[in-house]
Amino acid sequence: MRFFKKTNIDFLKPRRTMYLLSAFVIAAGVVSLFVKGIDYGIDFRGGTEIVLQFEQPLEIGELRTALGTTGMSQSEIKTFGSENNILIRTTEQGEGLIVGDRIKNAIQEGFPDSKFIVLKEDKIGPKIGEELRRDALYAVIAALVVILGYIAIRFKFIYGVGAVAALFHDVLVTLSVMSLLDGVFPHLNLEITQEVVAAFLTLVGVSVNDTVVIFDRIRENLKIYRTMSLGEVINRSVNDTLNRTIITNGTIFVVLLILLLGGGEVTRAFSFALVVGTIAGTYSTIYIASAIVLDWSLRKKKIPA
Amino acid sequence: MKNQLSRIILILAAVALALVFLYPTYEDYRHRQNILALSGPDSLIYFEQNEDGILQARLNRIKLGLDLQGGMRVVLEVDVLQLMDDVAKNKDDNFRSIVAEVRAESETNDESVVPLFIRKFQDRGIRMSRYYGNIRDSDELIAAFLGDETDKAIDRAIEIVRNRVDQYRVSEPNIQKQGGRRIIVELPGVKDEQEVRQLLRGTAKLEFRLMRDPDIAYRVMQSIDNFLVGKVAGDTAKPAADARPQDQKPRDALAELTGGATSAGSDTSQEGKFTQEHPFFTYVIPDQRNSGEGYVEEKNRDRVIRLLARPDIQRLIPTDFEFLWSAKSFSSSDGKKFYTLYATKKTPELTGGVIVDARASVDPEDNRPIVNMEMNSEGSREWARITGANINKRVAISLDNSVFSAPTVQNKIVGGRSRITGMESPGEARLLEIVLKAGALPAPVAIIEQRTVGPSLGEDSIRSGLSATAYAFIFTVLFMILYYRSSGLVADAALLFNILFILGVLAGFQATLTLPGIAGIILTIGMAVDANVLINERVREELAGGKTMRAAIDAGYDKAFSAIFDSNITTFLIGIILYQFGSGPVQGFALTLMIGIAATMFSALLITRVIFNLLTDRNISPSFG
Repeated sequence: MRFFKKTNIDFLKPRRTMYLLSAFVIAAGVVSLFVKGIDYGIDFRGGTEIVLQFEQPLEIGELRTALGTTGMSQSEIKTFGSENNILIRTTEQGEGLIVGDRIKNAIQEGFPDSKFIVLKEDKIGPKIGEELRRDALYAVIAALVVILGYIAIRFKFIYGVGAVAALFHDVLVTLSVMSLLDGVFPHLNLEITQEVVAAFLTLVGVSVNDTVVIFDRIRENLKIYRTMSLGEVINRSVNDTLNRTIITNGTIFVVLLILLLGGGEVTRAFSFALVVGTIAGTYSTIYIASAIVLDWSLRKKKIPA
Repeated sequence: MKNQLSRIILILAAVALALVFLYPTYEDYRHRQNILALSGPDSLIYFEQNEDGILQARLNRIKLGLDLQGGMRVVLEVDVLQLMDDVAKNKDDNFRSIVAEVRAESETNDESVVPLFIRKFQDRGIRMSRYYGNIRDSDELIAAFLGDETDKAIDRAIEIVRNRVDQYRVSEPNIQKQGGRRIIVELPGVKDEQEVRQLLRGTAKLEFRLMRDPDIAYRVMQSIDNFLVGKVAGDTAKPAADARPQDQKPRDALAELTGGATSAGSDTSQEGKFTQEHPFFTYVIPDQRNSGEGYVEEKNRDRVIRLLARPDIQRLIPTDFEFLWSAKSFSSSDGKKFYTLYATKKTPELTGGVIVDARASVDPEDNRPIVNMEMNSEGSREWARITGANINKRVAISLDNSVFSAPTVQNKIVGGRSRITGMESPGEARLLEIVLKAGALPAPVAIIEQRTVGPSLGEDSIRSGLSATAYAFIFTVLFMILYYRSSGLVADAALLFNILFILGVLAGFQATLTLPGIAGIILTIGMAVDANVLINERVREELAGGKTMRAAIDAGYDKAFSAIFDSNITTFLIGIILYQFGSGPVQGFALTLMIGIAATMFSALLITRVIFNLLTDRNISPSFG
């Protein structure tokens, strides 16, 4: 079985249109990020987050009233995975674990008949949140620099630039899609947690993996087809590796989809980021990484040094 | 083919190694299933009979992270400002207002506390020597002193927490220092959160207690021993014991000690007879030198603790008499670990507040480690009286009811300067220094991060993680066969080995498997396919170019190598970065990702190649679909 027999599609021709498409998605995401703000999870924001499992569903409004006695009625209250699980989050800071205790006591008093068990309780001090944000930023920057360096050494500098631009693109697109869809579907919480940052770095890994495979083919084909133009060689290489691109990325995509649908609430945002990232990564290999290498080389030819 | 043979040997060695590493995990699983299948007392008996095996397996199995088995993770930070406040002397309004200012500023500001604190003093032109050290000390000297105090405070806090966690008997706790000021405490499987919190707060209680007379200590132990075999306690204990009718109680207490495993009468050996006649002394071995101490093997400690806590046993223990445990175990010549059971008075003679300073050092005369301890004037007076009246008797030094040292009083100590000798190593002396200061100077810590995962969420996570892994695996395997036919099957074999290697390496490194770690394995399944796809697609191309099967396979592997190598290296580099910057769960993910990449390279390049070679050597042509 094979998906494609020998193909000869001119992938790079519509690249200008694709630049615009990418720019449009990212622009929409940036607007959404400005309007909604980044939905940081408890890790980065600091505060207290409790997930309680009740025996039967409760009204969120009633819960909010019950919390009123603590002065924390402004807390975020939403369901977590199922109707019976309630997540309560406040940025309120208190000594030790006092905030979590106050929430639990208030709910116990407000609903004496409803029993609950604590599924999860997190308290993050204000400085920790700041530190984690800083570390996450450093990690992403370090990853991009390392990749730029590695590809520049193994290929050419402009390939490194193309690959890193593609990675920027993937992270931004994923962030945009997450911001746009956050809160649109019930039970799909797309907050930026530590795990999601790990997912960003992983999608950087998966995406660069894909880019390197095509760059490798370009490197090889440049030696074989010496008379071809760079544009033709790139197109030839994308066509040569088309089956592999579809199979590998398709498999990773399906596997991640399984994780997204069946992996439970805790890994949901994580696998969502990776699913979106895989699509973006496949696309950006051709329309960002390879396209930048091509356009850069064409410009250099036009303006001879 | 020699080359082929050495490859096969390498693969078999790797598989064997992975299986060896994974065996304890399997054993652990088997034991747990057996215990679950048995009920109540039967499961206890099973545990008794297989205790060594079970504990060994538990130690070497793949560890599950807190997110999978439930538990609590707490990050404590030494409150440096509170510490500065605690160690200062002659505090006045100026001092207090500076402390308040620094407290307010450090909430919002990233600067570390000590430099900020010092700057505030300099801004106001106040010499720090007014509050710290000697009046002529320079600010630099005092800054160094304060930094040093912070370092010591964290060591104290760690020791206090470790001591308490140890007493609480959490299985597999993890306590570690992070950076200069933080302690990470991980308590897997902990259910009662309230109790744990008590462990982590409050000042440590340091006490000096006189030891009870060895004869009395021995008589109390004997009365417990007699009670357990059903003899009515004689004159050793409280007279109240006489009124007790012969009921089932000693039997219960006995079962508490032996775990119900004794099959009465069937054991006629010398040892068995002794166990029947002296159950208590079987578990608590009295010191032959008549020091009044008892020794309990580590594995029996929980049982003896439970026994001593029973009300019927408590009744046998006189007032102002308490058994305290040693904080650390010692190893006997045959490698078994023992804890010491000390018999002390219940009321302490002195508490740690009187200690001004303690320093570990070396005796200049014989180069043995010692600890010098200094008390305040009030403590010194008391200490002189206590030591004077108890020469040649022993004093137990306990922190939160664990005994760290029990030196013998040599002479009356006047002036409050004592010297404690008899430590086996400088490390032991340093520990005693920390303990003595822990009682004197609190190590103020604040909980800055706490994460609790309930056991039910952990179970849920394991279940959904495992089923997602299974589905991902099945999908990938079926797809590869469908698409590549028999060479897909070869790739699937490599994938199976791949997962075996990942788990084997995790077990071998004693790494912890977290939920993101499982996600890492799932992602590896997806990415592992890539190497085989690259190879198979290349082989197809070469076959289409008219090469023979063997030549096409060789060329396919050669040409695919650079792509596989470069793409995996870049992902591996990302893994390293994730591991460096990430915390707990993220590190678990990074680790499985990195192991997965290494395993993928091994199984995709080596194992599949060997299989293809074996096939073509026998003139069997694999199908590439």
